[in-house]
Amino acid sequence: MKKSIKAGIFCAVLLVAPRLLTPIGIDFRSFDHEGYTRVVFESERSFAYKVRSLPDRLEVSLDGRADLPAPTLAVPNSQLLERVTCEHRGDESVLTVHFKGAAAVKQSFILEKPFRVVFDLVRSEKSPEPPPQTPVAEEKSQPREEPPPAPRPRSIETICIDPGHGGEDFGAIGRSKLKEKDITLKIGLRLKKLIESKTGLRVIMTRDKDSEVSLNTRASIANNQRAQMFVSIHVNSSFRKSAFGSETYFVSLQATDPEALELAQKENQNAEDPGEAIQNDELKMILWNMAQTEHIRESSKLAEYIQNELNALLGTRDRGVKQAPFRVLMRAAMPAVLIEAVFISNASEEKKLQREDFLDKIALAIYNGINKFIYHYNSTLK
Amino acid sequence: MKKKTRTLLVVAVALLLLALAAFLLLRKQPAGFEPGLLNRGEEHGDGIAEFIRVKLFFLSETSRYLQPVYREIEVPEIREELYRKFISLLLAGDEAHITPVPGGVQLRSLHFLGGGGMLLLDFSESLAGSFPGGTTAELEFIYFIVDNVCYNFREIKKVKFLIGGNESKSLAGHIDLERPFFPDFSWLGDQ
Repeated sequence: MKKSIKAGIFCAVLLVAPRLLTPIGIDFRSFDHEGYTRVVFESERSFAYKVRSLPDRLEVSLDGRADLPAPTLAVPNSQLLERVTCEHRGDESVLTVHFKGAAAVKQSFILEKPFRVVFDLVRSEKSPEPPPQTPVAEEKSQPREEPPPAPRPRSIETICIDPGHGGEDFGAIGRSKLKEKDITLKIGLRLKKLIESKTGLRVIMTRDKDSEVSLNTRASIANNQRAQMFVSIHVNSSFRKSAFGSETYFVSLQATDPEALELAQKENQNAEDPGEAIQNDELKMILWNMAQTEHIRESSKLAEYIQNELNALLGTRDRGVKQAPFRVLMRAAMPAVLIEAVFISNASEEKKLQREDFLDKIALAIYNGINKFIYHYNSTLK
Repeated sequence: MKKKTRTLLVVAVALLLLALAAFLLLRKQPAGFEPGLLNRGEEHGDGIAEFIRVKLFFLSETSRYLQPVYREIEVPEIREELYRKFISLLLAGDEAHITPVPGGVQLRSLHFLGGGGMLLLDFSESLAGSFPGGTTAELEFIYFIVDNVCYNFREIKKVKFLIGGNESKSLAGHIDLERPFFPDFSWLGDQ
């Protein structure tokens, strides 16, 4: 019995020892954001470190001899960083981030899976204060701070309406040859009129005539015009001819690797391209596409308000609020939803879509939902 | 120990074993399905052909969930050939159900990337060309394929679609088709 315990301990030591003895590997990357530069040190395992913040540089010292990147890393095109040097000083490994001029640490925090130490640096105008010594971190560090909040949003002033399909892209077609692209444009123009006349808010359209606009361009129009809400209008179609009812979608991240998403969500604090320095191509693509991530909660709320109004006004089946990885929504950097008003593939609902008063009702329901969301959204800013 | 106590103990143990056996026999089959090698072989050329039983799921007008149908597939030597046969069965459809794939669509090629458990499926261009449109229709097609393959072959974790040999942004203007899809077994209900 004793022999087997000893053997077990021996095996455990054999399994754990190489991991403890192997030098810890550190990777460095940085992103420029509006008003600050984010610096990230990443490793497969957590590590203990000390921070020394000087006016012209930031020193991060690790106990032990880490497996460091090249002695000097250039940081091309950075607004704040000049270079990063990596060296062993006695029993310590020191990574030094050299600034262009003076800078200071605005905040720092730790993220897990993988372990990352993150610093947000800002340009320092004043003469620097004495360098603080920041002893940190046990071997099993826990997050001490939440990632920084997104920039505080403004009250809603501009809404982007996106009538689905158009031009050569007919969308779904009903039995009577009714085309989705025509219906979505009619509803979109009605909605624009309602919003402008009743609220005075600015409305932009991704298309206001029968023209083809790519999915990426639709989101770009909204982003470039600094819209604070994106509403994509569609009518639905199913292989099941009996399917009917209305549903409202916001974006789902289900179609991507859950672990990559967790990482992307934590690091994607800005809609600009933060993926440049990340080597993993798949993750880079995800990060680029995830402008929508930080707006998901609001998108869900907007979908809920609109779906409630569709239920109240259309008298059709409530198919609920759902999530799916919509290409047009992923790139929108604002609360964004896609409405599937009713089914053009259902004979009865297709007939309804041919009635002008029914289209008015759809537009009014969407308007009511938007209006309730604006009230909710603006009240959260106070 | 008294004889009465011993008898009670034996009865208690027997009841416990009976309850355990009932639990094991009556519990629900866990999500997922191992296509079992059928206990039969058929003389086939110079050897004995082996078959597996697979559970296919099709759309139905009467249910919001995909409905199960059983089929048998002769097991080829190459694993990817088995996947190809399986996809062919899906595309062939079932008379009593709806197949959410436009008519005439064919599988051009497939490739299994074992490391990440990703199955690459390359469909003919007619998939996009004749797709009827609609978010629901797109989701019906995607999860019809993804859920079926991932349910029947545990080693397949995700599916990536190609059309005409190329990546496609979307089937009909809604769902992002450039990234792989993980299964969503909520389409199968409690089956």
